[in-house]
Amino acid sequence: MDVRQPDNPLIEIRDLTVEYWQGERWNPVIEGLHLHINPAETLGLVGESGCGKSTTANALLGYRPRGARYRSGQVLFAGQDLLRLSNRALQRIRGRQISLVPQNPTTALSPGIHVGDQIVEVLMVHRYSKTVREARERTLDLLARVGLPNPPVIYKRYPHQLSGGQQQRVIIAMALACDPQLIVLDEPTTGLDVTTQAQILDLLMDLQGSYGLAMLYVTHNLGVVAQICTRIGVMYAGQLVEVAPRHVIFKQPLHPYTQGLIASVPRITAPKQVRSLLLKGLLKRGELPAGCPFAPRCDFAQERCFAEKQHLTQVSDQHAVACWRWQEIPSFAQRIAETQSAVFQKCETAGCKAGEILLKVDNLRAAYTLEHRRPFARPLPRVVVDGVSFDIQPGETFALVGESGSGKSTIARALNGFIPYVTGELRFDGKYDLTIPVDKRARDLLRALQLVFQNPDASLNPRQRISHIIGRPLQVFFGLSGAALRQRVEALLEDVRLDRSYYNRYPDELSGGERQRVAIARALAAEPKLMLCDEVLSALDVSVQANIIELLADLQAKRNLAYLFISHDLAVVRSLAHRVGVLYWGCLCEVGTTEEVFTPPFHPYTYLLLSAVPEADPDQVMPEARKDIGLIVSEEKPACPFALRCPWRDPAHCHDEPPPWQTLSRSHMLRCHIPIEELRQHDIWADRFRRA
Amino acid sequence: MVVLRILFLRVLWALITLFAVSFIIFTAIEILPGDIAARVLGRYATEEMKAEFRRMRGLDRPMLVRYGEWLSGVVRGDFGDSLVSEFNVGEVVLPKLRNTLLLALYAFILYIPFSIILGSLSAVFREGVLDTVLSSLTLIGLSIPEFVMGTLLAFIFGVVLGAFPVVVAINVARSFGEAVQMMTLPAVTLAIAMAVYAIRMLRDNLIEVLESDYVRMAILKGVPMYLVVLRHALPNALVPALNVTALNLAYLIGGVVVVEKVFAFPGIGTQLIDSVFLRDAPVVEACALIISAVYIVANLFADVMTILLNPRLRTAK
Repeated sequence: MDVRQPDNPLIEIRDLTVEYWQGERWNPVIEGLHLHINPAETLGLVGESGCGKSTTANALLGYRPRGARYRSGQVLFAGQDLLRLSNRALQRIRGRQISLVPQNPTTALSPGIHVGDQIVEVLMVHRYSKTVREARERTLDLLARVGLPNPPVIYKRYPHQLSGGQQQRVIIAMALACDPQLIVLDEPTTGLDVTTQAQILDLLMDLQGSYGLAMLYVTHNLGVVAQICTRIGVMYAGQLVEVAPRHVIFKQPLHPYTQGLIASVPRITAPKQVRSLLLKGLLKRGELPAGCPFAPRCDFAQERCFAEKQHLTQVSDQHAVACWRWQEIPSFAQRIAETQSAVFQKCETAGCKAGEILLKVDNLRAAYTLEHRRPFARPLPRVVVDGVSFDIQPGETFALVGESGSGKSTIARALNGFIPYVTGELRFDGKYDLTIPVDKRARDLLRALQLVFQNPDASLNPRQRISHIIGRPLQVFFGLSGAALRQRVEALLEDVRLDRSYYNRYPDELSGGERQRVAIARALAAEPKLMLCDEVLSALDVSVQANIIELLADLQAKRNLAYLFISHDLAVVRSLAHRVGVLYWGCLCEVGTTEEVFTPPFHPYTYLLLSAVPEADPDQVMPEARKDIGLIVSEEKPACPFALRCPWRDPAHCHDEPPPWQTLSRSHMLRCHIPIEELRQHDIWADRFRRA
Repeated sequence: MVVLRILFLRVLWALITLFAVSFIIFTAIEILPGDIAARVLGRYATEEMKAEFRRMRGLDRPMLVRYGEWLSGVVRGDFGDSLVSEFNVGEVVLPKLRNTLLLALYAFILYIPFSIILGSLSAVFREGVLDTVLSSLTLIGLSIPEFVMGTLLAFIFGVVLGAFPVVVAINVARSFGEAVQMMTLPAVTLAIAMAVYAIRMLRDNLIEVLESDYVRMAILKGVPMYLVVLRHALPNALVPALNVTALNLAYLIGGVVVVEKVFAFPGIGTQLIDSVFLRDAPVVEACALIISAVYIVANLFADVMTILLNPRLRTAK
């Protein structure tokens, strides 16, 4: 497959500068970008939000979003400059020779048109198929090709009737429809479950081999590029700072930014992070120096870095880096070896007295609505969480993991009293009953149980100043005012490592990571004993994520705070949680300490989840053996909720007999019919290293 | 089957609303000041004559009894007799209703393409010359009352150009063509009055839809812009505009009062005004109830269309 000829690329971006109109002036988002994609290769483009990766993807399609302009440069494809083509000429290329797979399949499909007809549309506008009949036949083939079961049924579905993974498969079928030469994938699996993501990656890898297709894979997820890309480009502030084949990028990154980025990614196999390598500060677009944009955050910056523009320089055949000091900077391996002692450690729970329990959840069942099973019969609650039991000790982090729809967030809401139908025993701090709804709770209970949401954009009132947002719980719970209030707010800002100058700002003047810090400070203001963190890191970039993980661990150590940490990101969970509960279809299937859950024996579902995680290490290939069929929801829930999907199910009893809880240690339990000895043989880590 | 259940509930609610409205109308007219007996019998009628008149027409009985009688008649399609002319209300109102419906239909036929085309052009070429001009024009249209608009049109096209009659004596039209010509000015007035809302509404909806991911996806699939708008954008932008159209539809029947008056058009609006003036309760009640019914049916229609146009609701089980 090695057809890399730098002289003859499929598509080439030359000296591209893109600017966006922001309020009163044009601000550059991409500056002087050079990039080429060879035929049949998969180029990964990674970087944090705002680095210009999506803008690059747009440029490859000759697309100019509103408020953007191409100030200079060319995008050369088949001898033409896409930036200077007429709309009519572009129409002939888009979808025909270069096609797009966008980030969010749910919003990218037209809501009112059968998905099959949307594929037929592409075939017809490009006259790829002569007749509608022919186009329909090809569509059915394509739907089968992307692994959708029963194409004629899928054809007649509306987008909302398909799951996220199915929608993305439809989009991929659409992108493949006219046999294009290049597919631009813009964060195609962001927002999907890990298991769905793994399936989509499988499909893409399959296509790579069979079609001779070139792909540009834009993502912030380094794990994904490590698994799928042949070559990787790293972007920072609109510039390409390093390009190299994936093994080189992950093993010998030269640019300090690449080194920091790779060190920031939480690993599922090696949960310790190298603290001193983490990226410091934030990308501030408005305050970039004339020279290297990374200089303000770089450990090795010198005067020349700030003054002199950096250009990609070839350091070896396939490897280019935009840093003039690349030979002087210590190597990645060296930096890691030097700082091995300063590894990040999650706080130990040794401090808490054994047996002391902060939150006890026993047989929790929760439902949002009633369901009329039969006319005139008494309606029954439609149970989302079905008999979940766990407990949390003071100062401990308990994580709930599972796919979307498994009931993770419902548990958090039930604990907060936002769910109308709740049964079971929920005891908090010995004296409070959490089954009572939020509006009937004692003030002291409200104070001791705080919530941090996934999206700080939506959970902070945009019309309130930071001082007001953080100050409000202080006024309500502690009656503080005046100078005392101000002092306390400033102390809290310091606790979450924000500068005092933020006191009078509004949320939209802050970055995503800073806003999440404010949300954490607001929860801390109430001096809670337990904080419910619902996907608090999901919306953040890896480098910001790494810093917040550290912050959460520090706060826990200082205040003996307990977290219920809800996340779909298993690597984050591994680096932060003390104990983990794995949730499937409203039921817990495994509970144990993090080390116990993340090492064999696994519950079959835990195995499936872990094997779906793309590790940011090209040597750890995802296990091939997982033939996951995806989330199954049927009318009738079997006795073991996972029975329908379990690769090792035994039809004899998995369907009808409730599985027993098998106890492996004082802290580790899993709920499965399969004997522990048999489960012990499934080892994903062994699988990965064996194939590598 | 969710759809059927929703439809059933909506129809049920519509009937309940109509029932409530009938009661409110009846009560309102009851407490209206002014005496029908004095109106009909003239200035020189004695108290005895007025009492006799009320007794003959059954006006001296309790209100609830009369309401019950009236309602039972209405259900059977009988609105009683006009107090003034002694004709059956149906005979008085039906021809007027027919005229108004004709006018409404004409205005509606003008309104739909006019709004969709101008709204779409405005959105697709937003912030361009056409959009700016249209925005100003619709703003002007919004702020000018219909009767001024009608008068203006009547002056320009009727008086100055002489192209259309200013007074619409529809009942003496000799041919269909002549009727259409006569009704053009009031119909255009109504169409403009409705379209100014719809154009702005559709423009804003369409702009939002044009910014959506699926429209961007359609463009990046290589679909020509006119097809993007027709297939992907317009159908989704029309749904919210439907509710405006429903209100417009109701306005057409009910709010035409003033416009009919400007053109002396013998429609239900003119009839309503005249009957209120004469305190002819049965006719007023009939007109008011018909107009309310149109409002309710129009909104019901919009709800149903919204459900049918939304695949999410349509396919729910």
